[in-house]
Amino acid sequence: MLKFALKNMAIKKVQVILIVLSIVISAGIGVLAFNVSNQVSDGITENAGYYSAIIGPSGSETQLAMNTMYFAEEPLGTIPYSVVSQLQMDQRVRTVIPFAMADSYNGYNVVGTSSELLIEKELKEGQMLDDNSSLQAVIGYNVAKYNDLKVGDVIYTSHSANSAETHTQGITIRGILRETHSSYDNVVFTQIRTLWQMHEHAEEGHEGHSHATVCAILVKTKNDAYAGQIVSEYDDKIVTDEHNETHTLQAIVPMNAVRGVLNDANNTKYIVYVLCAIILIMNIMVISIITLLNMYHSSKEISLMRLIGISMGKINLLYIIQNSIIGLASTVLAFGVSRLCLIFMSDFVSNYGVVLNMGKVYIFELIILLGVFIISVLPTAIWTLAVSKKDSIAD
Amino acid sequence: MIEIKSVTKQFQNETAIDYKDIIFESGKSYMLLGASGCGKSTLLNMIAGIMSPTSGSIIIDGVNMQEKSQKEKDKFRIKSIGYIFQDFKLINDMTVMDNIDILKLEGIDTQNAPKLLSELGILEKKSSKIKHLSGGQKQRVAIARALVKSPEIILADEPTGNLNFAIGEQVIKELVKVSKGKTLIAVTHDERLGIYFDEIIDMNEITSGMKDVISPKEVE
Repeated sequence: MLKFALKNMAIKKVQVILIVLSIVISAGIGVLAFNVSNQVSDGITENAGYYSAIIGPSGSETQLAMNTMYFAEEPLGTIPYSVVSQLQMDQRVRTVIPFAMADSYNGYNVVGTSSELLIEKELKEGQMLDDNSSLQAVIGYNVAKYNDLKVGDVIYTSHSANSAETHTQGITIRGILRETHSSYDNVVFTQIRTLWQMHEHAEEGHEGHSHATVCAILVKTKNDAYAGQIVSEYDDKIVTDEHNETHTLQAIVPMNAVRGVLNDANNTKYIVYVLCAIILIMNIMVISIITLLNMYHSSKEISLMRLIGISMGKINLLYIIQNSIIGLASTVLAFGVSRLCLIFMSDFVSNYGVVLNMGKVYIFELIILLGVFIISVLPTAIWTLAVSKKDSIAD
Repeated sequence: MIEIKSVTKQFQNETAIDYKDIIFESGKSYMLLGASGCGKSTLLNMIAGIMSPTSGSIIIDGVNMQEKSQKEKDKFRIKSIGYIFQDFKLINDMTVMDNIDILKLEGIDTQNAPKLLSELGILEKKSSKIKHLSGGQKQRVAIARALVKSPEIILADEPTGNLNFAIGEQVIKELVKVSKGKTLIAVTHDERLGIYFDEIIDMNEITSGMKDVISPKEVE
């Protein structure tokens, strides 16, 4: 039966290919959209939850979060380094990471920070940043790959991506990160004091950076309650630097900041779902029309089989097997195509620090695929049932 | 033995055929002669269980087919009847062997097919698609498919209808040869082929009630 079903499908390959393509496109898009939107949401939430608070200049919460967590957008400005020192002495705080984004190397952002920022990242080669030194860098995987850089090389950064003029002082590459498929792959990390040196700030020892600045401070507290306290203490706080200039701070809980982004993403997600539903409905129609258009051809075939004595039950089973094979192959292909597309989508969403996992399968994806399988078999099942009721032999 | 007893068939309240008794003896070959529209094909269809008579009965080996359900008639047809259709009833996009192997859907053993195809002179075409065969070759495939299950009864509806006389005659010779020992009932309008059959039945006379059976010699 299976062999004959396959042979019968082979002689109708154009029809079969059309149906398979139609199902693969609709189911593939549906599954891909669902998977990506959920993995991005999960990934962003996970990243945002890593830090308890972010302190920076007043301005857009989202911009502060995006700049410090994903190295995207421009920094809001600067705040005095004294705030870092103050936080380091706070008993409620476990980790304080200074963050400054300035300069560029061949279009890649240069971030001044401490080794704590990279604590969970693995090195492909070399060593991690030495916080007590300067003019050293740990570079992301893509920076090394696309600039043919290795440990020990010296790079010269410029003030901006558009500037051809480079700093006179070079930075020696101390380490290269393993590929993370995230925004970390596209960044040059150096000690914060390297940036100050480059920008002719004083280098007077850790406690003495009274007029040194940072763009933001990433904070991990000992518990969530302390995070709330720190945020309320530092939000809208006014601090004065050595030059008696005042700076208004803002303190955010990263999770709250990205929630706004996620809400926007959710709205987009719903639009994608609606589009997928429309594509699915259109494809149900296409599959049904193709099936109906081939009804005449198959009716002749059924009548022929009936005349030579093949029972209606066997004929129904034959057509159900055929369409089950088509449905199964299409849904498996749709799943495979969606996984392949994840690879291409991965680079796109890596800007949000999210690594798409090809092996991640949501239950709803399986429900979508099951639904598509049922939809692909249903028209034939209904049709064969209708035809068997009008048996060409019965009189 | 096949007994046709006072069979009538009506289509939309009009009597298309009205036969008196006919008996087909087992192991003999019969040629049904008659003008088109006299109900020759209808009679074959009724024997095969594809159609049911409006009245009368068809008794095969003592079993009244009218008492059987359509499912039972189907089973009987697939097992005991080899039907060669005028328009072959072959799937054009499939190969010769696939068209014969279609019977496997009902559990029919088709191992005998190469031998039959060889006897019919088309073994080398077994992997060819039907659409690439000539009319005579298609007819031989139809014969092979009808005979592969070694049926007791072989029904052939105008097996030479689409062929010229020379090829038609060859096909009939082969059909009679491979059907030896079986009951063969072939419908044709070409009297010249009568010499190959044991009996010739003129359906016009059966219908009008003039005669039951005429012999091949009479045709000559």
